[in-house]
Amino acid sequence: MSAEAGSVIGESIKRIDARGKVTGETRYPGDIDIEGQLWMRIKFSERAHARVVAVDVAAAEALPGVVRVFTSLDVPVNEYGLVIKDQPVLCGPGGDKAGTDVVRCYMDMVAVAVAETDTIAKQAIALIQVHYEDLPAVFDAEEAMLASAPQLHPDCADNQVARYRIRRGDMAAGWRAADVVVEGMYETTWQEHAYLQPEAGLGYIDEANRVTVVVAGQWTHEDQEQIYHALDLPPGQVRVIYPAIGGAFGGREDMSVQIVLALAAWKLRRPVKIQWNREESIRYHHKRHPIKVRAKWGATGEGLLTAMECEVIGDAGAYNYTSNKVLGNAHLTVSGAYEVENIHIDTYAVYTNNIPSGAFRGFGAPQALLAAEGQMNRLAAALNMDPLEIRLKNSIREGSIGSVGTPFPPGVSMPQVFAACGAESWWRQGEAGWQLQAPVAPSDSSKRRGRGLAGGFKNVGFSFGFPEHCWAGIELQGSAEIERVILYHAGADVGQGAHTVLMQMAADALGVPFERVQLVASDTATSGSSGSASASRLSFMSGNAIRGAAELALRKWQDEERPAKADFMYHPPETTPFDPQTGYAEPNFAYGYVAEAVEVEVDIETGQVQLLEVVCANDVGKVINRQQLEGQIEGAIVQAQGYALMEYLVSRDGRILNPYLSTYLIPTSLDVPPRVKSVVLEYPDPIGPWGARGMAEMPFLPLAPAIAAAIYAATGVWIDSQPFTAQKVVAALRAAGIGEV
Amino acid sequence: MNVSMTINGEAVSREVEARTLLVHFIREDLDLTGTKIGCDTSQCGACTIHVNGKIAKACTLLAAQADGADITTIEGLAENGEHHPMQTAFWENHGLQCGYCTPGMIMASAAFVRDNPGASEDDIRHYLEGNICRCTGYHNIVKAVKQVADAAAGGA
Repeated sequence: MSAEAGSVIGESIKRIDARGKVTGETRYPGDIDIEGQLWMRIKFSERAHARVVAVDVAAAEALPGVVRVFTSLDVPVNEYGLVIKDQPVLCGPGGDKAGTDVVRCYMDMVAVAVAETDTIAKQAIALIQVHYEDLPAVFDAEEAMLASAPQLHPDCADNQVARYRIRRGDMAAGWRAADVVVEGMYETTWQEHAYLQPEAGLGYIDEANRVTVVVAGQWTHEDQEQIYHALDLPPGQVRVIYPAIGGAFGGREDMSVQIVLALAAWKLRRPVKIQWNREESIRYHHKRHPIKVRAKWGATGEGLLTAMECEVIGDAGAYNYTSNKVLGNAHLTVSGAYEVENIHIDTYAVYTNNIPSGAFRGFGAPQALLAAEGQMNRLAAALNMDPLEIRLKNSIREGSIGSVGTPFPPGVSMPQVFAACGAESWWRQGEAGWQLQAPVAPSDSSKRRGRGLAGGFKNVGFSFGFPEHCWAGIELQGSAEIERVILYHAGADVGQGAHTVLMQMAADALGVPFERVQLVASDTATSGSSGSASASRLSFMSGNAIRGAAELALRKWQDEERPAKADFMYHPPETTPFDPQTGYAEPNFAYGYVAEAVEVEVDIETGQVQLLEVVCANDVGKVINRQQLEGQIEGAIVQAQGYALMEYLVSRDGRILNPYLSTYLIPTSLDVPPRVKSVVLEYPDPIGPWGARGMAEMPFLPLAPAIAAAIYAATGVWIDSQPFTAQKVVAALRAAGIGEV
Repeated sequence: MNVSMTINGEAVSREVEARTLLVHFIREDLDLTGTKIGCDTSQCGACTIHVNGKIAKACTLLAAQADGADITTIEGLAENGEHHPMQTAFWENHGLQCGYCTPGMIMASAAFVRDNPGASEDDIRHYLEGNICRCTGYHNIVKAVKQVADAAAGGA
């Protein structure tokens, strides 16, 4: 049952869904129709913050072909939210819960129209008259924390939806011991997921009288729970099915069309379809958090950290979504992958009237690491030390106590990951320690080249006391030998290849050839809850669940049961939330570790930064499918490159000004670095299945700070505000007296 | 109005509204949903098809403009039950993840390599600029296209 000769663990098994995807047969939610289906369109808020006094649907309902317009009055329990149910399904008057008559951003829904055709539904939306009473709005997180700011939610007086502290050691002693102190202010803005498949879905009543939603999401059972809560139905009355999913990256973790589709299908008892276009997708789903970090770090002349002080302020937008968790993760990672005894951190997630922020690959760590690794680079520069050398001096290692006062879970590989990244890129180890080799200067005098490095860590699986779990079911068929295995699992294949990996793990756990495994996936009617395709958790959690189910099924098989069926719910070690005063916690049960080195070329005339090469060292614990794993690394790096250099979502007074791929630019084949080297390390996680850790977010984490370090190496200028657009870079260069005025 | 065209070797004729986009005609009237819509502004290339042998983004044409045309979509790329070499190459090189950009990528790449056997990696990166992928980082896509381009040059 281990990865021995003949095992499929580590094999580049071709993904099971490739045939359908290359032939065009694969159906995504927008590709599925049911005879007699109706069409839905949504009336979104036209204000950033206002009370909805009345919603007049008479003209819309009078339009021929309109079947029904639903408003707040039609929603049985008018609230939803993954962590805090702070968002109305439909904003409007008449609810028994305070605040459901208020729109708090432009992505709030006010009404939905259902009609015989999509065109009529669209016309109906235009005929819905919403009467607003404007309320004062706030679009800046720090302003929203002031006493003078408007209060956005009835039960959150200071707009601070989450607030965390870390208080460890003796700060005065830490500053006294410091020979050098560096301070920085780091700022990030929204990032759009830009998965290629815009939101779409189909709602209908199935043969068992369940209201069924076919949609692209990340956690079938969470969607199911959000729906049955709002519709006030028993859980078994709601079914969620995922067909093919066209990318997610965290952007499908929260609800988009799920609840309103279910509402309409349930009330009308007819199939209802909705299809968003790109503009709707960008306007109406959450984004990566804008986060501002103020940091002050001290170190000895030898480069040992003595004290660290950080303030982290995240713009949650109008609703929590997963903001309290994202800022929790930023709180945990803003001290970087380093040991320090004296530490003082304050973190806030703040409601504003902007679009909600939520999950996005990295979950707060990319923003926090921009600050942490920026600080480390500043320290290295101030001490004239090699950036890899100073990291290795301070790096967390096996047994290290984290900022939250507890040891990291066993299997810490950060020093090895840093060293591998250096050795596989441009560092050489000599008598004076690690030394970066400078790049060859370009012949064009307007171009400067530089190399930089950054690293970090991120949790695998849900954190801070969440009752983490994952279910798997296995059925063994045959007589003398196992002829067929049916694996039941709810895990979402959002494109990352999870389904193929699940089947590989089942084949190995059962000792059968891969070809004998079949998968029944992503349907609440056939599976227990396997948790979300997020937090780099699916391989780790599912592998353990599958191993558990396989062991039980094999036992039944040996007891002559035919078919032999078993299921298993895996629970990892428990975690705990931050102590409100000190931050003391056991926040996570597993981590992945990553470091990246980059070479960039800066055009000092234009400020344009070209990413030439990336070396990514990622400790994945154990490779399950090498081809897919490298695909995740390459994809994450390009998404992070977009984040670092190009992607700039512009929002004015809560309204997104560039909701198109023509104005929100993401990397094309011409933008990406031609050379990406994946250094895949396998230091096993002691509780990971086959030793595997999660890996899909990690290559995103340190790219922006590595690029910032390379820009500094090339030009001597620090860029601390993401994205590092040509405009910002050229302004910084000119301010430093570099390039033509 | 009436439009007639050949799609994947089959003659079709339908009544459509004059403003119907070709991509909607293909997806909704003909139920050929392999052709995707990703952006509505002709950036992403998920709707790339062949019109009279040349690539076109089906969201940029009216169905009426394709009247009388010979059209191939991803569903018609395989011949005699054999996958097109580009389909096989994307599959084998893991040139896809979520797969939503894949039909458009394959249609664009198949036409490119047909016209440019032996294309260099740099040529391919330039050519594919009009097709966006958010998952793969493009490396395996370029690898897949290069493999077919090399084979095409070798066979020439």
